[in-house]
Amino acid sequence: MIAQRVGTTALRRVAAKSDAFFTANVARLAVAPPISAMQTRPVATQKLTPSDANAILAKQRLLRPVSPHLDIYDKSQTWFGGSIWQRFTGAGFSGAMYIFGASYLAAPLLGWHLESASLAAAMGALPLAGKGAIKFVLAWPFAFHALNGVRHLVFDTALVSSFKRRTIVQTGWYLWGASIVSGLYLAFFL
Amino acid sequence: MASIARSALLRQATAAPITRQSVIASSLRAAAFHTTSRRSLLPPLPQRVEGSVNDPAPVPDPSPSHGSYHWTFDRLVAASLIPLSVAPFAAGSLNPTLDAVLCATLLIHSHTGFQNIIIDYIPKKRTPRARRIFTWGLNAATVVVGLALYEFETTDVGLTEAIKRVWTA
Amino acid sequence: MAALRSTTTRLLGSARPAFRLPAAAPVRGFAQLADAAQESATATAEPAKLKTFQIYRWNPDTPTEKPRMQSYTLDLNKTGPMVLDALIRIKNELDPTLTFRRSCREGICGSCAMNINGTNTLACLCRIPAEDSAELKIYPLPHTYVVKDLVPDLTQFYKQYKSIKPYLQRDTPSPDGKEYRQTKEDRKKLDGLYECILCACCSTSCPSYWWNSEEYLGPAILLQSYRWLIDSRDERTAQRQDALNNSMSLYRCHTILNCTRTCPKGLNPGLAIAQIKKQMAF
Repeated sequence: MIAQRVGTTALRRVAAKSDAFFTANVARLAVAPPISAMQTRPVATQKLTPSDANAILAKQRLLRPVSPHLDIYDKSQTWFGGSIWQRFTGAGFSGAMYIFGASYLAAPLLGWHLESASLAAAMGALPLAGKGAIKFVLAWPFAFHALNGVRHLVFDTALVSSFKRRTIVQTGWYLWGASIVSGLYLAFFL
Repeated sequence: MASIARSALLRQATAAPITRQSVIASSLRAAAFHTTSRRSLLPPLPQRVEGSVNDPAPVPDPSPSHGSYHWTFDRLVAASLIPLSVAPFAAGSLNPTLDAVLCATLLIHSHTGFQNIIIDYIPKKRTPRARRIFTWGLNAATVVVGLALYEFETTDVGLTEAIKRVWTA
Repeated sequence: MAALRSTTTRLLGSARPAFRLPAAAPVRGFAQLADAAQESATATAEPAKLKTFQIYRWNPDTPTEKPRMQSYTLDLNKTGPMVLDALIRIKNELDPTLTFRRSCREGICGSCAMNINGTNTLACLCRIPAEDSAELKIYPLPHTYVVKDLVPDLTQFYKQYKSIKPYLQRDTPSPDGKEYRQTKEDRKKLDGLYECILCACCSTSCPSYWWNSEEYLGPAILLQSYRWLIDSRDERTAQRQDALNNSMSLYRCHTILNCTRTCPKGLNPGLAIAQIKKQMAF
């Protein structure tokens, strides 16, 4: 058994390194590796029915970790992607609208003043920087959501040229620039 | 290599049956590699595969009102918001009907947007109760806000005019 | 084969330096640990171009141990140009326990799909960025259950593929009793779709698929779905559309388009999904 193994190993070596034939070291190659240096595979086999095997697999599955995702994926495609910010800005505006709506209904009961006149008065009482800041905080998400909304509507028409990889990446970055510029315009020049 | 790993696994799995407790503990510990699962509200569950490997994934019954009709309606609403939100400011004319239409469209747009968020992040299979609570909570909130917008439109100056006044204040 | 032998040498025969001689002859295939790099650089008279690879490791034999990142440093002068070359070299010469899938090494089998430096791609088609000295980070496909190291479990992915019936469904026999024919224009519609190798790069790049892989089919399967939807020879278009017409299977796509950006074959799953939605809209 062992002798046979040495023989096959030598043969394999010869086959793998064809110029070994010409080195006249075939004999040395055959003897050189001690048996203990070879990889051995002590495999104990068991007979298993398919259902047993499945049960083992099911057990192993429960132990498997989930590979990392948000932490390791390209940040420009996850955290700075137009899509997720579409959701953030949209949810922000809608949330604000829902909260304002609920408070507006509750205002008479609680004695708050949320009529447009008092809101405008409160806004007018703010210093210029405060006004601008509040307006920009509202205007940038609005611009972003509107511009990206249009972009998404174009995507939804399955316009082939809008799906080019370069176009997707470029419009994604233009979006940030355009939304900030229009946000500033809406906040300070309107 | 593969056979070594497999046999070791088999031996391990057959020799020492893993208790439920240790399964959960270890899966949590293993999942702690990435910070999201520690922070996230719904860390992924340990893997379970329904049916055999060769069974196809179940195909849900068709329901266009949650599928294609819903999607098309969503896009139409979104598209109609573009002229609706630009027109009053561009033209300067503040038609009350137009303003009411804008409010209604915004409300629908918000509602379907929130719906999408709920469907995405609150899985029906895993947290059916939370899903129901959120869905009905959203429906109730939308009704309330609808009422509020009606109030605002009828007793106050209307949405576009209000925004204009606050903006130019 | 030669490289495998030298690994055994390193691992088992370290106490027997005499054995190194025959295997040491092909220097190219020899291991380069970071500390041994200096030595080899003088041997080849070429400055070593060291690059560190950080690789995700998790061993199912010790499931309670947390997954970790392991660093390996290779001399790029002695490594092939692709990430897969580096992985194979690491496995052959530095650490035989590193586990990953690979087969064709030319981007046609889809086995070596993994997350390299933040985006999913095939290791065999991804060049090692030799210019920057930053460490290259390699993870398994994101948000998959890990079988071992870089090997993800794709059972659900294949089950979903099966659920869309990826084969021609037809009742009418062809008029001449021979093959089912289609016009050149109809055949052209399948270009950019049939080339998909189902490597799962796109599906596992999709956040929507991360959160809802139980029910949402994901970009790869939807691209295949579209491939059968527009095949002029297929006669079950309506049934195929019905199978997608619910809130989860198709409409969890929010046009994030990570799929199109990541596809290592240059296909466009995002466009295919948009076309399905458009087709089903009216």
